Amino acid sequence: MIPEAIEPRRALIGEYVLGLLEEPEASEVRALIARDREAARMALEWEQHLLELADELPAQSPSLVLWDRVQQSLGWAPAAQANAAEGVAGWWNSLGLWRLTSGALALLVLLSWLPGVLRDAPSGDSFTAVLQVPGESAKPGWVVTVDGDGTLKLQSLVADAIPADRSVQFWTLVDPKDGPRSLGLIEPGKGVTLNAEQIGAVQAGQLFELTLEPQGGSPLDRPTGPVLYIGRAVLIASN
Amino acid sequence: MADSEFDYEGTLEACARGDKGAFQRLYQREAGQLLGLAITLLGRRDQAEDCLHDALVKVWHNADRFDRSLGQGRAWIYSILRYRALNQLRSRGRLVDTDDGFIEQMADDSAQAEDIASDQSEGRELRRCLRQLERPRRHPILLAFYRGLTHEQIASRLTTPLGTIKGRIRAGLRALQECLQA
Repeated sequence: MIPEAIEPRRALIGEYVLGLLEEPEASEVRALIARDREAARMALEWEQHLLELADELPAQSPSLVLWDRVQQSLGWAPAAQANAAEGVAGWWNSLGLWRLTSGALALLVLLSWLPGVLRDAPSGDSFTAVLQVPGESAKPGWVVTVDGDGTLKLQSLVADAIPADRSVQFWTLVDPKDGPRSLGLIEPGKGVTLNAEQIGAVQAGQLFELTLEPQGGSPLDRPTGPVLYIGRAVLIASN
Repeated sequence: MADSEFDYEGTLEACARGDKGAFQRLYQREAGQLLGLAITLLGRRDQAEDCLHDALVKVWHNADRFDRSLGQGRAWIYSILRYRALNQLRSRGRLVDTDDGFIEQMADDSAQAEDIASDQSEGRELRRCLRQLERPRRHPILLAFYRGLTHEQIASRLTTPLGTIKGRIRAGLRALQECLQA
């Protein structure tokens, strides 16, 4: 029995929205919401208020394959690509998610925020960045080291198989306002050394990332493919 | 957090027109928060990701049914996720065996004058109104929202008779709506 009076009806719809009603009452309210605009409005109004409780929870980064799964289910992504590709393009624009990717990454972020650590690096400082699978702590894949004379070494800890029609591209981001800068393509599993001119001055907190791109690299001046590994530079020695 | 700059209604309407870019922006904007809620409800990340996947597919397919004259787009999206999560919980028939510490904490969180003022200024109407409820009414509502528990499950978790729990929740919701409408 659904009450006719507005207030008891609104409360009953609240119970339905919270998932508290059992059959057959739940079905009755569901049918009411489907046919009665005022009831539908009340249900969405409860849902809107309850968003405050949802927003009390910390966000969690979805695993990298989720976006591909969704695209596959919608028939947008060819299966082969979906198997190889992981994650979502445009992570550069989603700094909020980066901060949540893992405890280790969070620690690096924290370190980079400490006063005195986040500053322009005078020559002579050395840095390291552990690049991890986004959202997965304890899955380091690559290590970046920048020595005192500014030479950057990217070393692989993993041997990932990359599809023949794809390339892995190395990027860095100093300031989100300036956008990412490509540091070139890399061979999976193989390291690379770049000199100080190619890298520019490195700062604590600077982001490095590897993304999966079309063969030959991203057609744009920013990553278009999923992030494979990501990490921030931490100052390890100041000379 | 809701992003007041983000146009959820316009984005859903764009999805209804088949705009994949709009859907991707919505994913980037909201997937993390949706997953946070799904993990809290389901207690397991793999099941939460399945739930989020199903909900997102549904959001795309049903975007043309969203009607901004009925309410806000973000609420509509969360209603789809919560509905799926609740169905998953019911079909599984098991309780999430997790630490309810944060729920206890929120249940203990009674109204202080300064909290009410700050809630009001930040537009946190529900928090303000929940704080004004007595704990026995507030706690079961939080367990229903965060754990998706049924009346019976709440009664057993709080070792309180079923009829008492039903009455408290109903009275709690009535008081909440009065406070929210005020």
